[in-house]
Amino acid sequence: MLISCNQLKKYIKNADDINFKTIWDTFTLKTAEVENVYEKGNDLKDVVTAKIISCEKHPDSKKLSLLKVFDGSEEYDIVCGAPNVKVGLIGALVKVGGMVSNIKIEKRKLAGYYSYGMMCAMDELGIGDAHDGIIEFDSDTPLGVDICDLFNVKDIIVEIDNKSLTNRPDLWGHYGIAREIAAITNHELLPLDILEVTNDKEDLDISVREKDFCPRYCGIKIANLINNKTPLDMQIFLYYTGMRSINLFVDLTNYLMLELGQPMHAFDARVVKNIEVLLAKDLDTYTTLDGINRTLYKDTLMISNGKKYFGIAGIMGGLDSEILNDTTSIFLESANFLAGSIRKSAVKLGLRTEASARYEKSLDPNLCDFAIKRLLYLLKQENPQMQIVSNLTDIYSKPLKEKEIVLSKKTINRYCNLPVSDKKVKEILVSLGFKVDIKEDCFVITVPTYRATKDISLEADIIEEILRMIGYDKLIEQPLNVDITANVLEDYWEQEYKVKKYLATAFNLHEVHSYLWYSDEMLNKLEIKKEGVKLLSQTKNNLLRDDLSLSLLPIVKNNLKNFASVKIFEIGTIINDNQNEKHLSIILADDESNIKNLYQEAKGMVISLFKALKNKEIIFKEASLPDYYNQEKSKAIIVDDVCIGNIIVTNGKLMRYIGKKKAMVMIDINFEKYVNINKNNVLFKEISKYPVVSLDYTLVASKEVKYADIAKILDEYSSKLILGVSFIDVYEDDKVKKFTIRYQIGSYDRTLESTELENFKNDFIKFVQSKGLEILF
Amino acid sequence: MKEQVEKIISLAKEELAKVEKEADVLNIKSKYIGKKSELNNLLSSLKEMSNEEKKEFGPFLNNKKKELEQLFNDKIVALEEKIDLNFDETIPCNVSLGSLHPVTIVAKEVTDILNRMGFTVLKGFEMEDDYHNFEALNIPKDHPARDMQDTYYLDNKKLLRTQTSGDQVHAMENYGVPLRVCSPGRVFRNEDIDASHENTFFQLEGMVIDKNIKIENMFYVMREVLKEVFKTDVKVRLRPGFFPFTEPSFEMDMNCLICGGKGCPTCKNSGWIELIPGGMVHPNVLKMSGVDPNEYTGFAFGIGLTRLAMMKYKINDIRYLNSGDLRVLDEFEIE
Repeated sequence: MLISCNQLKKYIKNADDINFKTIWDTFTLKTAEVENVYEKGNDLKDVVTAKIISCEKHPDSKKLSLLKVFDGSEEYDIVCGAPNVKVGLIGALVKVGGMVSNIKIEKRKLAGYYSYGMMCAMDELGIGDAHDGIIEFDSDTPLGVDICDLFNVKDIIVEIDNKSLTNRPDLWGHYGIAREIAAITNHELLPLDILEVTNDKEDLDISVREKDFCPRYCGIKIANLINNKTPLDMQIFLYYTGMRSINLFVDLTNYLMLELGQPMHAFDARVVKNIEVLLAKDLDTYTTLDGINRTLYKDTLMISNGKKYFGIAGIMGGLDSEILNDTTSIFLESANFLAGSIRKSAVKLGLRTEASARYEKSLDPNLCDFAIKRLLYLLKQENPQMQIVSNLTDIYSKPLKEKEIVLSKKTINRYCNLPVSDKKVKEILVSLGFKVDIKEDCFVITVPTYRATKDISLEADIIEEILRMIGYDKLIEQPLNVDITANVLEDYWEQEYKVKKYLATAFNLHEVHSYLWYSDEMLNKLEIKKEGVKLLSQTKNNLLRDDLSLSLLPIVKNNLKNFASVKIFEIGTIINDNQNEKHLSIILADDESNIKNLYQEAKGMVISLFKALKNKEIIFKEASLPDYYNQEKSKAIIVDDVCIGNIIVTNGKLMRYIGKKKAMVMIDINFEKYVNINKNNVLFKEISKYPVVSLDYTLVASKEVKYADIAKILDEYSSKLILGVSFIDVYEDDKVKKFTIRYQIGSYDRTLESTELENFKNDFIKFVQSKGLEILF
Repeated sequence: MKEQVEKIISLAKEELAKVEKEADVLNIKSKYIGKKSELNNLLSSLKEMSNEEKKEFGPFLNNKKKELEQLFNDKIVALEEKIDLNFDETIPCNVSLGSLHPVTIVAKEVTDILNRMGFTVLKGFEMEDDYHNFEALNIPKDHPARDMQDTYYLDNKKLLRTQTSGDQVHAMENYGVPLRVCSPGRVFRNEDIDASHENTFFQLEGMVIDKNIKIENMFYVMREVLKEVFKTDVKVRLRPGFFPFTEPSFEMDMNCLICGGKGCPTCKNSGWIELIPGGMVHPNVLKMSGVDPNEYTGFAFGIGLTRLAMMKYKINDIRYLNSGDLRVLDEFEIE
């Protein structure tokens, strides 16, 4: 929101004592965040009021005029292109050497004639957006006076972060900001002039059918309005604070909104004779002031006369009741609408306005009639002849009363050690508009209604008011009391970090983060159709992933453009069966010729991971996976009889997607299950104190035989003398596979006799041969 | 005879110096002190000598034999210990190291600090229900505070959490009070992405609830965390903030470390960096989670972990973090 310091000064007594350039740091610390401070009017130099005393058409140009302009002491020849030039017009002249819009004005030849300066339009002066002609001052304006001395051109405009005002409806107008500044700087806030209305005429015909949605509706009718021209200072103010000047009646409603935060609306009284506040008929359409035809809903609150809509309540008026140039009587609305209802409608209609932004914050209904009286006062300044032709009609069934909060000193002590006296507390609160009664053990505080709609309802709210005005830096930091409970409630993160660190350290893997949703482009390319939870109101990449590994493929693909091999992992969320589920995915990608090694590497990682961090042995079983994965080569990882993940080989399409002649192997582990696996204790294992003999045997089998087949056969052979068996190597040639196995032969209680060893050898060899395998030894 | 022996010894030494293999040493050994060696012959001839001669030459010959034996043994030991150092020690190494994501590293740092201060680290959920993300945090439907964050709503009536603050509610529900917990995690905002905006980033929530927890405690903890994170006594300021789930609410700003507070693009020329929002837990929030606000008070705060990581590593474009681009990510550490 934009705030004009010139405007603030009007509301504060002795405001000149306040430095409006520097006060905003303090405001940030005590009230709300200031984003920017702009100085206006500094780019103008030597712009004075001057009168056109002669005006001739340029002989060769249709647009240009040749003027003589008088600034009270000298005459200047000016060549001017504005259409509204005429003798007697008093405008703004920049003399040679002067500046506008940061441009230095020089003597210049235009279409053969010298121009000694320039007559300016509003936009050139930076005080408005009008560019349809040069500015026209009133006919009684003195000549030769710097316009910065005549009007509020020089100003400081402050931009306040709207988010930090979310809970402060009172700060959505200049008067509320002035109240804060006055409180911060210890100045007096001046009351506003209003025009009291004597209700001796007839009430307007106003009926509010939805009292819950419209707690208050005030209306009044004014006639005999002649002057609809907005004073220049007000135009400049509106422009500086982001509004457009339309005409006096509309501008005044906007002015009041900027002053008090209360949105108002002026209808042409020729069109609007009576008002009914009601809900729209579902799917009715209506054209708002901006010319757009909008669809309404059954919960859209409307201003109507029972037959016809005049506006969307609290959001925007309509075209057919708008103020026109010949409007002389107006129906003025100042109402209060329910914040939630306005917000809902604004969101639904996709129409956020200055008015709806304010209503959403829960405005004080007690502002409604006051805003009307204030507007009447200002309107009368410009239209002394105006006539109030109705009562100030007020539909207000449940008036909001001031709220009382008892702030006990005990509560204060529970929150902080307040470093100030009771008297100071009272002073602070009174400066913000509260009434305070100091009691022995508490403060009885009356909250003004402009703070009571949403913001202040609890003792804690009052404590915040006191502390922010004192300054939070006045509190002295205190460490927490010692707590010697080792209160570890859960160890999820510890485990996650351990796994990550292990993978990065032991296997040189790289951690990546990726998005929670699939890339549509990837799914389409792979022709994978998936159902699942979707992001609403997103048309692209809106499907949440249910397979972490699959979702990582674009990252693998992109990295393979820069690296020959890629080894990454992520521990991330997937949405499985409508639930969050953390998964660990490891992807190893390399040249296709390396797939065997990748597979071995992946297998080794899984075994090491569970051995190192959980002390668990794992078993691989048949996997059951989506059909874009290879069912034969992929294996389920079984720990304690539970499948906790898979080693995955993908189908060829996925491999081609990541790169030509590339292959990958994935590990996907359900991390929720991983975390819940209890770590096995490592138990001391006795070693034999006697000599142990290592025997290496090489078994020769045909090419289609897998190690698992061999292992199954060897498992059938048992002997007390076998202390250990391990796989050493496999060698493959064109015809056969040769598996080398090492047996540790010995005993825990004695040294073996040589005959025992010989017997074992003979027996074992016989066994293997009986299974049809050739054995080399 | 003595001359003869000395000559044998010097010949043996000469031969020994020329060989580099154990077998050769053994051959020389047998040649000089073996059964058929000259020295052995001399020793054998002792028995034919007179007693006086025996006395003179006996010890002499035996000593010389031992001397030679020692010589051979030394040579063998020397050969065994000899290692071939003939390699190029200047060949460069290609070290390949894994890496952790920068946010993981920063999250670990911050949770370690909080851990030392007695906080348990909790796990939260990326897909959340409206109750935990908004309602239980004192943000009812149609509350304008919902506009402070652009929410991704889902077609299953749930949403992607916009803040880790919902973990405050989970913590109270799961563990009751008193509590001293923190919860790092990913949050989502429906925003357009550019160098400084992401729709997916990390926050950390911290929360303490107990009897007699005051605002002063909160300031202490917040500043202590900053001090430890930045390893220096940072200058901070506190100003009012607005969050529906805390009252009073604060923003803790840190003096910009880049410009020292003079104003620079990083701090948008204000000299301050908005870093830790927080506040005293709103009585309504306590009540909704079954905690008696008349008995307990507490505070909660948030830390932008992604932001912290960017500051720590001077990352100039937030988009790198979710890109998975190893050209960037593999530069990071493993702890």
